[in-house]
Amino acid sequence: MDFLTALRISGTGLGVERTRVNLATSNLANAETTRTESGGPYQRLDPVIQAVPFPAELGQAQASGGPPMMAQISSVVADQTPGKKVYSPGHPDADPEGFVTFPNVNPVHEVVNLMSASRSYEANATAIDTLKTMAQRGLDIAR
Amino acid sequence: MKIFDTTLTRLEQSLDVRLVEHNVLAGNVANADTPGYRPKELDFSQAMAAAQQVSATDGMAATDARHLDASGGTMDGSRATNAATMLIRQGGGSSPSIDGNEVDVDRVMAGLAENGLQYGASAKAAGKKLAILRYVVSDGAA
Amino acid sequence: MSIETIQSISQPIGHIGEAPHAGAVEKGGKSVGPGSFAESLGNALQKVDDMQVDADQQAEKVALGGGNLHEMSLALEKADVSMRLAMKVRNKMIDAYQEIMRMSV
Repeated sequence: MDFLTALRISGTGLGVERTRVNLATSNLANAETTRTESGGPYQRLDPVIQAVPFPAELGQAQASGGPPMMAQISSVVADQTPGKKVYSPGHPDADPEGFVTFPNVNPVHEVVNLMSASRSYEANATAIDTLKTMAQRGLDIAR
Repeated sequence: MKIFDTTLTRLEQSLDVRLVEHNVLAGNVANADTPGYRPKELDFSQAMAAAQQVSATDGMAATDARHLDASGGTMDGSRATNAATMLIRQGGGSSPSIDGNEVDVDRVMAGLAENGLQYGASAKAAGKKLAILRYVVSDGAA
Repeated sequence: MSIETIQSISQPIGHIGEAPHAGAVEKGGKSVGPGSFAESLGNALQKVDDMQVDADQQAEKVALGGGNLHEMSLALEKADVSMRLAMKVRNKMIDAYQEIMRMSV
């Protein structure tokens, strides 16, 4: 368990938060997209975050409560909840009954996710900063 | 003749344990948004006590050259690091949020800050002690 | 506060230049007695050692997770300064001794 380990753990955290930000911004950008390549309106994307144990090197001690965990986006799933239907017969994407299905994106929801991801990203960055300071102090022992 | 006293050993151990603590806390921060994640913690005083214990016994001495090496195991990393690693346990979280995540980010961040400061203090003390030794050894020059 | 410490070290050292007390002379000219050079030097070195021990104790307290950060820093710095002063005095004493040994009889 050393500096490299800590750096990698915080790095995975940064990666996860960045992906969350990307997904939130993608959802926001496509909040009104009624037509996609696969037909139908845009479906909002959700990350599935998973905690992954840091790979234990050979000969390393085993923790009783488990080793420190990295974070990882195991998959990105499309939210299947149907979007709201708006009656708009003149719309090019209107179905035979005149309804247009809009994406299931709630902008407020996405902004909250964005803020939460941003805060967590900062927290991980602070952890790395603290680590850098510690490493510097450690090196200073040898003047 | 012992040049490096027990205080220096104690400081070295504290540096090792503080680094393990940082890893634990960093893991909690990285998983601050992982659904269902329960944070881990390390009790510093307990870890220091375990580290002292390990260094006190210092493995077994072989009384015959043909005896197998029993100098405390084949684990990598310092003894203090290993002793502390084995004491990492679940805990230190707050009540679960809707997605089951129990990490209290603010508490973890405060813990990281304190841990970093204490690491710096131990490093400073170790450096200073060695500097005094260095000064004396080099006959009062530098 | 630090000046006090330096004074407390330099005071016994300052006795080097003084003539031995009458009490010491009575013991057959041997300079062993109150206020003798050996005792002053011993006291001074003892004080330096005490400061090292104090610094060690403070450092150990911090290492174990408790302790006072600024107390530790101050103790370490005091130990450093007093050791440096002792080294300087020691070097000067050695120089003085060698100077004397160089004198032709």
